[in-house]
Parts: sequence; C-alpha cells; structure tokens
Amino acid sequence: MTNPILITGMGIVSAVGLGKAKSLEALLDCRSGVGKLKYLKTEHTEFPVGEVKLSDSEMRTMLGLPKNVVTTRTALMGMLALEEALKEAGLSADMLPEVGFVSGTTVGGMDMSELYYLDYIDGKGHMEYIAVHDCGSCSEMIADHFGKFAFISTLSTACSSAANAIILGANMIRCGEAEIVVVGGSECITKFHLNGFNSLMILDTEPCRPFDATRRGLNLGEGAAYLILESAESARRRGVKAQAVLSGYGNACDAFHQTASSPDGEGAYRAMKEALELAQLQPDDVDYINAHGTGTSNNDVSESQAMKRLFGDQVPPVSSTKPFTGHTTSASGSIEAVFCILALQHGFLPINLNWSQPMEDGIIPVSKPTKKELRHVLCNAFGFGGNDSSILLSKSDLP
Amino acid sequence: MKNNDVYVLSAKQVSIQQPLSEDWMEQPIFPEEPYVRSLDPDFKKYVSPIEARRMGKILKRALATSKEAIADSGLETVDAIVTGTGYGCVENTEFFLDALCKEGEQLLKPTFFMQSTHNTISSLIAIQTKNHSFNATYAHKSISFDSALHDAWLQFSLGKINSALVGGHDEMTPVFYHILKRGDVMGKDNEICGEAAVSVVLGRNAEKSLCKLSGMRVLYHPTIETLSKAVAILLKNAGKRIEDVDFILTGISGHEESDQAYLAESETLFGQMPLLKYKHLFGESFTASGLGFYVAAQCLKAGKVPAHLFVNQEATSEKQPHCILLYNRSDGKNFTLTLLEK
Repeated sequence: MTNPILITGMGIVSAVGLGKAKSLEALLDCRSGVGKLKYLKTEHTEFPVGEVKLSDSEMRTMLGLPKNVVTTRTALMGMLALEEALKEAGLSADMLPEVGFVSGTTVGGMDMSELYYLDYIDGKGHMEYIAVHDCGSCSEMIADHFGKFAFISTLSTACSSAANAIILGANMIRCGEAEIVVVGGSECITKFHLNGFNSLMILDTEPCRPFDATRRGLNLGEGAAYLILESAESARRRGVKAQAVLSGYGNACDAFHQTASSPDGEGAYRAMKEALELAQLQPDDVDYINAHGTGTSNNDVSESQAMKRLFGDQVPPVSSTKPFTGHTTSASGSIEAVFCILALQHGFLPINLNWSQPMEDGIIPVSKPTKKELRHVLCNAFGFGGNDSSILLSKSDLP
Repeated sequence: MKNNDVYVLSAKQVSIQQPLSEDWMEQPIFPEEPYVRSLDPDFKKYVSPIEARRMGKILKRALATSKEAIADSGLETVDAIVTGTGYGCVENTEFFLDALCKEGEQLLKPTFFMQSTHNTISSLIAIQTKNHSFNATYAHKSISFDSALHDAWLQFSLGKINSALVGGHDEMTPVFYHILKRGDVMGKDNEICGEAAVSVVLGRNAEKSLCKLSGMRVLYHPTIETLSKAVAILLKNAGKRIEDVDFILTGISGHEESDQAYLAESETLFGQMPLLKYKHLFGESFTASGLGFYVAAQCLKAGKVPAHLFVNQEATSEKQPHCILLYNRSDGKNFTLTLLEK
C-alpha cells in the first residue's frame, strides 16, 4: 500500500478482562480466562468456555443504559469495547458524522431469540427483541449508543467477520470515502452455536490445546474489539498517535467444505500471501503469526500446511491465543489483532498456552514467554465456508 | 490507460415474478396477499437432489441465479463473490432453533447448523464454482445488497478486481413471517412481504452489458443536507447533472410512513422527477433493493420502463431511460444512492 493506514485507537473486552491493560497483563502473565460456565444457561456445563466475566445487567449499569433501551449481549460487549477505542483515538460524538463504523457478527441477537423463540410464536411477550434479532441491528445498537456515524456496515462471514470488517474499512480509506473508519466485531456465546459446535463434535471438554498432538477441539469464547483505522493525513491533522500500522490484508476462499478446511490450507495460504503482497513484504519480514489455531484436529493441520507452504522451513514464531480467550468466533479477528498490536508495542511473543506435544506435520508454537522486538506480524482469522482472511500489522515507528 | 468503468454484465432473479425471466415487464404478477413466497425454478439443473435436501430455499435459489448470471455474463470465472443477506439462512436456522427449543440440547444433529450461517451462500457458490477469490457476506438490514455492491465497487475502484458476482438473498418462512409480523417488523399497512434472490455479474466489458454502474453512496443517519451533498457528489463523479437522470427508482412499498418520506425527500433532493417503484411487484425484504437494481438494469437494457412501475400514473412511459438513480431508504437511518446508466 502506498499510503499507510494507521491504527489510532483500540478497545477490547474478552474472557481475560475489559480493556487493553487487562488484556496485556493476562498475555504477559500467561493467565487464561477460560473456565467453568457461569452466565450462559445451558445443559452443557461440561465444556470450558471463555465468557466475559460480566452479566448483561452489570454491563448495562457500566454503560449507563436506561431500562427501556433494548439490547443484546453482543451489543453490550460491543459498546464496552467501542467506548475504549473511541476514547483512545479522541473521537467524541460531534466527530462521528464524519466517521464510518463496520462491525462483524454472526449470531446477532440469537441470545434473546433462543430464550424467547417459543414466546414469539405464541405471542407471549418479549416481542421487543424480535426487531433486534438480525446482525445489522446489532451493529446499529453499538454504533448509535455513541452518536451518529456517517456510514455503517455489517460483515457476517462467521469466524472471520471482524477481520473482513478491517478489510472493508481499509478499502474505504484507500478509496477516499472516509478518513476514519472504526472496524471490528462482537459476539456473545449462545446456546445456538454452542450446541451447533457440539453437534459437529469440535468442542473439547478440557482446556483447548491448539497445535498439540492431544488436541480435541475448541473452547467457545466471547467478546468484542474495535480498532480505529485512520489515514496518516487525518491523524497528523488531529494530532493523534498511531498505535500501529495496518500494512496489508488478504481475503480468499478455501472453497473446500462448509465446515472443514482443506488438507493443504489453500484458502489460508492465499489469504496470508495476499496480505504480504499488498504490504510489499517478503515472508522472512514476518516476525510473528497469531494463528487462527482453534484446537480442532482439522484447522490446525490445514493452517500448519498453509504456513509451511508460504514460509517453507523458516516459519516465524507462531501461537494461537485462543487458550486465553476461547474462540471468540466473529470477534476473533479484531480481538487477536489487538493482541498483536500489544505484542508489537511491548515487544513480546504471546504464548500458545496448554501446548506440550508436537502434532504430526504441525508447526511448533511459542510455548515459553519470550521477549522479542517485533516489526511485522500476521493475524489469521478463518471462518466456516472457508472464508479465510489475514491481516498484516506493523510497528508504527517504521521509517 | 486502464479502463476504470464498471458494467452490469448480467442480472438474474427468483422472486414473486416468473423465475429467471423478464416476463414481469409485459406480464407482471400483482401479488394480492400480504405474504407471498417466490416462484421457484426447477432446481435440478443447478443442484443434485441429494444435496438439495439439506439446503434451505435460499441456497438453492442462490445457486440458480448465480450460475445463470455467471453463464450469461460470458465470463469463465469472477474475481470476487460478495453476498448481501439481511436474515441469512432462515430455514436451516429455524430447524436447528426449533429443535433446540422444543427437544432440548442432547439430541441435536449438525445437518441444519452446518448450513445456517449467513456466509453459507457465498461459500456454497465458491465451493460449487471452485472459486478461491475474495469472498464476503454482508448482513445489514435493508442495505444488505447495497453493502455487498459497495464492497465490490470499492475493489473495482482500487483496481483490485475486474469482475464480481454480487448477490442479494433473503428467504421468509411462514413461521418467521409470523414472528416478524408479531414484532411489527414486517407487513405494515399495504406492504407485501416477499423473498429475494438476485445475482448480478459486474465486469469491465461494455459490450453486451445491460448498463453501466456509474457510482454509489452509502449513508447512515444523513441529514437532508448530507443527502443532497451526496447526490451532488455522486452525479459529479459520474460526470452528470441532475437533468441527465431520467427516473428515480424508489422503494415505495405500501408502508405509509415510509412511502410519504420517499415522496417528500425525493421532491427535495431531485425536484419534479418521474418516480418508479418495484416493491408492489417484488415485495419487501431486506434484500429487495437487489431486485430494484435488477429492475433498473433490465429497463436500461430494454430501453423502456413498463407503465406499471410508475408511481404517478399520469407520467409518461414513452420516455426512453438512459440514466436511473436508485434511492433506497429505510427507518430514516440507512440510505443508499446508486447510479445506473445505459
């Protein structure tokens, strides 16, 4: 890219806590937020999950929402993350009519729909949630809490939704449609997809172990994260500091299967390769890869192959941070992008918790806390249907 | 010099009207019920009966319109597959949700969950056409199709792609219609709730194209001043003046409050311009605007606008369309402007 796109703010909430500071602390202390189910009402208490440690009503109180405002859990988490991001970038309500908002989600308002579905049919009540079942309403609830954004869009590409939101925002800035676009995603755990993933037999009853020989599946997580993308010109004019640079991105389709990845990782390979090409960087410029690394048998084989194809026998340090947060599905692309930026800023490699035994033909992830100066990092997010995206983030003080 | 223009190479639909045809121009079907399902083509040509059994209608329709649109475009393959869908795979979601709520959490089968996410549509098209290129799905209410089109438009502008399959797909099951009606989301006044399946192929080749996509704008919470400015920029970028626009295609639907807003805003923004409508034939849905795009493109290709599309019946239908501006508004929040010309 000729004109760099800066990241001038970010906000995050996940199982490891609310805010960048808590996230950094957890990553450095190697402290997972995955544990016993507390907030979701489900029969499947056997699965560890990465829940945000706040109830809906606690979040409502923190946000100061009046009683009559209709929200869903995905919207509430989104608001918490967006609040931090806007604050860091110095964006107040009066500036939003010049700012775009792009959010990713897949379950949308399913947390309420699955509670009240039978009531909806019988007309027994809770009708106010029907209008916020869809994904777009979720983005609007998050955005409208802060003011009147000039543009809004909702990506829904399953677990790569937030990564694709980043790509759309970047394209808008490159086309001159906006100078500032807030991008990211939000997703709460629902019974709907917990049961869906369970029916596919890809949930582990133990803490997940990405890239480990004994891995048995993923742990579901939830959360939200937003990044403020801004043109260099606008950031200079506003006098705001760049946290990092978005230097490349790629989107490709595995075109293999709706819920499985190809053995050779074609989609993942193409997405990472495209990100490097757009950034005009070589494979050996990459200092760290935050893998999609779900801990399912299939993903980790496919992603390992893709990395080996692109990097040969010089695969840079890799880790999956999903053992910290669980798989935050639609939000994972932006949550893990924030982790990457924290790693760039503080010079360390986030570790792949719970790893002990190499898998056959797999990559060997970072398993010990390591200090390292990082310049360029890749962040992968892959979704059902082979919707594979990769984001390349760079240190902001590059010449 | 690079050719920066974007053309509509093909446009196909399945809706309340005759499927995969432009029969509605001469022989429109006027829906009489508040909720009308689409007329489906024979799907055997597009998907094997075994695969079809696991697919909701939305997937089968998307395959039919997409495969026909790609074949008709003359392109071998496309550089991007971008889909808009407001509610996604409702039928499969409903099967899974219904079982979850009625039978509990112990005996659920993955069959319907596997094809329940919104992006199943784009992914399915990619899998079936072996396409590894850019693939994305937008789910933003009544601008879902427009959002997908906008993504493709940006990538054309950046020179990243030279062709794209853009779709707009929504299905409406009887149970979901019942719920939306209860929630006062759908079926207001004389509005007809329909379904949408539209696939258009965009490319660089003007020959044999239906029309040119000259630009588009997507706005959230605009004031009338912001809208007015957006119209001016859209026209300026396309090298046009408001006098060059022959028709405004509106989303007038029978929903009284929305229709009044369409009429009032159109007058402020465009002056005395002939207004067209299409939702009285194709119904309302989150991706109805995709059908509007299809209707405008087909009118430009045919060189005529059927009289039954005019909002004001006294308006002349003799006028040959050269340039149509698509005006999509909903809830007073989401607005899009799309300019198509011959």
